Amino acid sequence: MHHAYIDKFAYQDSPIHCLDARIKFLVTVVFTAVVISLPRTSVSILFCYAVGPFVVLVMGGIPLRFVLKHILYVSPFVLVLALTSPWYDRTAATIVFGPWIWHTTVGWLRCWSILCKFVVTMLALIALISTTRFANLLAGLQRLGVPRLLVIQMGFLYRYIFLLIDSAHHILRARAARSAGGVAFGRGAKFAAAMVGSLFVRSIDTAEHINSAMQARGFDGNWRTINRLQVCVVDYVFVVIAVSFILGLYFFVKPLLG
Amino acid sequence: MVKAIEVENFSYKYPDGTIALNGITLDVEYGERLALIGPNGAGKSTLLLAITGFVRGTGRVVIDGMEITNGNLKKVRSRIGCCLENPEDQLFMPTLFDDVAFGPLNMGLDSQQVKERVNLALAEVGLAGMAERAPHHLSAGQKRAAAIATVLSMSPKIITLDEPDGSLDPRNRDNLVKLLAGLSQTLVIATCNMDFAAAVSDKAAVIDGGRVIAAGPAEQIMSDSKLMTSHGLEVPRKFINGYSATGFSG
Amino acid sequence: MANELLSVPVATGTLAIAAGGLGLICRKVSRIVSSDKLSLMGILGAFIFAAQMVNFQLPAMPGTSGHMVGAVLLAIILGPHLAAIVISSVIIVQCLIFQDGGLLALGCNIINMALVPSYVGYFLYKGITVGQSSGRRTYIGAMLACVVAVESGAVLVPIEAALSGVLAVPFSTFLITMIGVHFLVGLVEGLVTVAVLSYLQQVRPDLVLDSLPGKIRLSRKTVLVTLLVFAMIAAAGLSLLASKMPDGLEWSYRERPNQPDFKPIIANENTTITAVDQLQSKYTLLPDYTVRGASADTSKGWTSFAGVLGSLLTMLAVWAGMSLMKRKQTKALGSS
Repeated sequence: MHHAYIDKFAYQDSPIHCLDARIKFLVTVVFTAVVISLPRTSVSILFCYAVGPFVVLVMGGIPLRFVLKHILYVSPFVLVLALTSPWYDRTAATIVFGPWIWHTTVGWLRCWSILCKFVVTMLALIALISTTRFANLLAGLQRLGVPRLLVIQMGFLYRYIFLLIDSAHHILRARAARSAGGVAFGRGAKFAAAMVGSLFVRSIDTAEHINSAMQARGFDGNWRTINRLQVCVVDYVFVVIAVSFILGLYFFVKPLLG
Repeated sequence: MVKAIEVENFSYKYPDGTIALNGITLDVEYGERLALIGPNGAGKSTLLLAITGFVRGTGRVVIDGMEITNGNLKKVRSRIGCCLENPEDQLFMPTLFDDVAFGPLNMGLDSQQVKERVNLALAEVGLAGMAERAPHHLSAGQKRAAAIATVLSMSPKIITLDEPDGSLDPRNRDNLVKLLAGLSQTLVIATCNMDFAAAVSDKAAVIDGGRVIAAGPAEQIMSDSKLMTSHGLEVPRKFINGYSATGFSG
Repeated sequence: MANELLSVPVATGTLAIAAGGLGLICRKVSRIVSSDKLSLMGILGAFIFAAQMVNFQLPAMPGTSGHMVGAVLLAIILGPHLAAIVISSVIIVQCLIFQDGGLLALGCNIINMALVPSYVGYFLYKGITVGQSSGRRTYIGAMLACVVAVESGAVLVPIEAALSGVLAVPFSTFLITMIGVHFLVGLVEGLVTVAVLSYLQQVRPDLVLDSLPGKIRLSRKTVLVTLLVFAMIAAAGLSLLASKMPDGLEWSYRERPNQPDFKPIIANENTTITAVDQLQSKYTLLPDYTVRGASADTSKGWTSFAGVLGSLLTMLAVWAGMSLMKRKQTKALGSS
């Protein structure tokens, strides 16, 4: 399944995978913020910014085809957003790019800008997620100050999503084993409703069992955790490189480009 | 002499009135491996819930010399660990390490001790080095072993297991038998599979209709074909005269 | 909501509000939450997650796809505080693992889908059902609460986008479409909520009770006052935005300073526009007039070209380098 795929990459080994989760997260946030804050008509600078997450992805051993597929998968919504710009903004503009000169509208420029920003920020986010184990990411978030209850909830959520998908699989398989051929729409909808219903009740039972398991292991309302994150020299090096990259592009290269 | 488990005339009714357990009296000595056998719905699971303090009824339940009361549940549960029927229910943390560490952490141990316990427990169940895995990446057999590890890390004196062989293929069942054979704790195992029961236990108790029908040495109880068949069970292959055991250790 | 709809100041602001709100809720609730609630929260979260994957994408309108939120259902079962936490967790996990919604948009999404609908929906439901937990009144209450909750979250989206000044779409069109679309979404969610509630009534009636032991006793007065304050803020905000002309038009006005009828309008709203403009220009070093600049100054065109080409070449080099290294590694392993 799609998400399980991302999960697998997180368990690989590479210099990127070994970086502290907090550092990676903060760098990703700053990177995203800076990229989004670039002028609405900037396009070329975005290519420069793309180098950063690209390098991280390559060093992390994440296959590019997977990344591109994933970006395409989540892009439809942004495509619609981007295309509203040329629709509503028809002001004329001329763009000079190397040996070419185009006559187009500001709207189209903004459209491309939005798309490029999207791709670049997605690259960064995918770089973060596919090189960081979710558990470590959660631990990092907690150390960064996210309320403990929320972190616990996210941990459970992550675990249960997979459980739910497995249960759904079982039900669908049982259904497939029992249906000889196609299903009429009315029947299908009824079945879907019944499936959701049974999943729901099963889930509530599961929740109770898990509660028993927690209490059986002595849970008394206080959530205790072990600190498993450590910042080391490599992390500092990464931060320095990343910050100089981000700010360097912003202050030195951006004024030069259109 | 203190026994590991003493159940004295314990009865329990469901909220809707059905009688689940009816005057159960049962003792388990330290180091024994007791198999609770009986047909479906006999009350085996409920009895396990009773001795782990999840179900409170009338009568006495004494674990490791401590009678279960409302106040000492946490203490009791540090002496007797329970493995639920579905291992997924026991693996609720993002990584295996977190799951196995959950118990020791709740016992108040410091991080160094917790880490040691986790590594020991995982090694004991054959999952050494998998501490950073996510539970949904484990196979069925591994999940079962992991669930046992989550209990082992608390170093309980007694472990209860509810149908641990459920949905395991023969090879994984074999591994489980070996695993259980290597444990030093007192074990109480509820199961519907007679061959499995014969392989892992030295004592057996037949439960039916919420009562203890018979209890005694495993071979004696389980080779009594009349007793077995009259309660919807069967004699395990191991104890059939003239049968040469294959496949199961023990 | 996507990153691209927001400007950094709005993103930071909403993130701060969302973080503050969540922090408050967590602190308040941590003491009361018992382990059975914890496991239930996790499971329900997974359900909401699955439900939210059902998207109604509306063509031609940017902003968000309409999808169910589940806030009211959760608020009824768990109470508004826990509901907000559960939905926030779903939003964060969706953002991180599925890249659904940008990192910067987290603040907005949490406010729009977790904080506002949970509380609005809950209080509306409680207000209508007045303590009952079954029967026709609860179903009506649930339907109404769902529609209002979904709408209240949806309305915030155009406001946040307009505050960022990114959108080319006129504010009013955006707002009206969002309201329209989410009315339908709210209806669907209401139906689903009612269905689930009636199912639970039969199967597990114990769940659908007021679930926090230390009851959140809010007097009617407090609720009304809070709502009033919010309404005033919303009205003030809306008037501010109504006077500031939507971006697309603004741009075209600047391009045609000669047209006399536009001048007085610009002059009147001067202060508000310049204030907002100043805020925005603080965060973009160069104004977005580079397009004109490029046409007038061809050297910039070449540097852009160089920049893009250079970046692409760098990426190619890195990729090639890594592939070579990997091939060497596997060769070394193979031969040894």
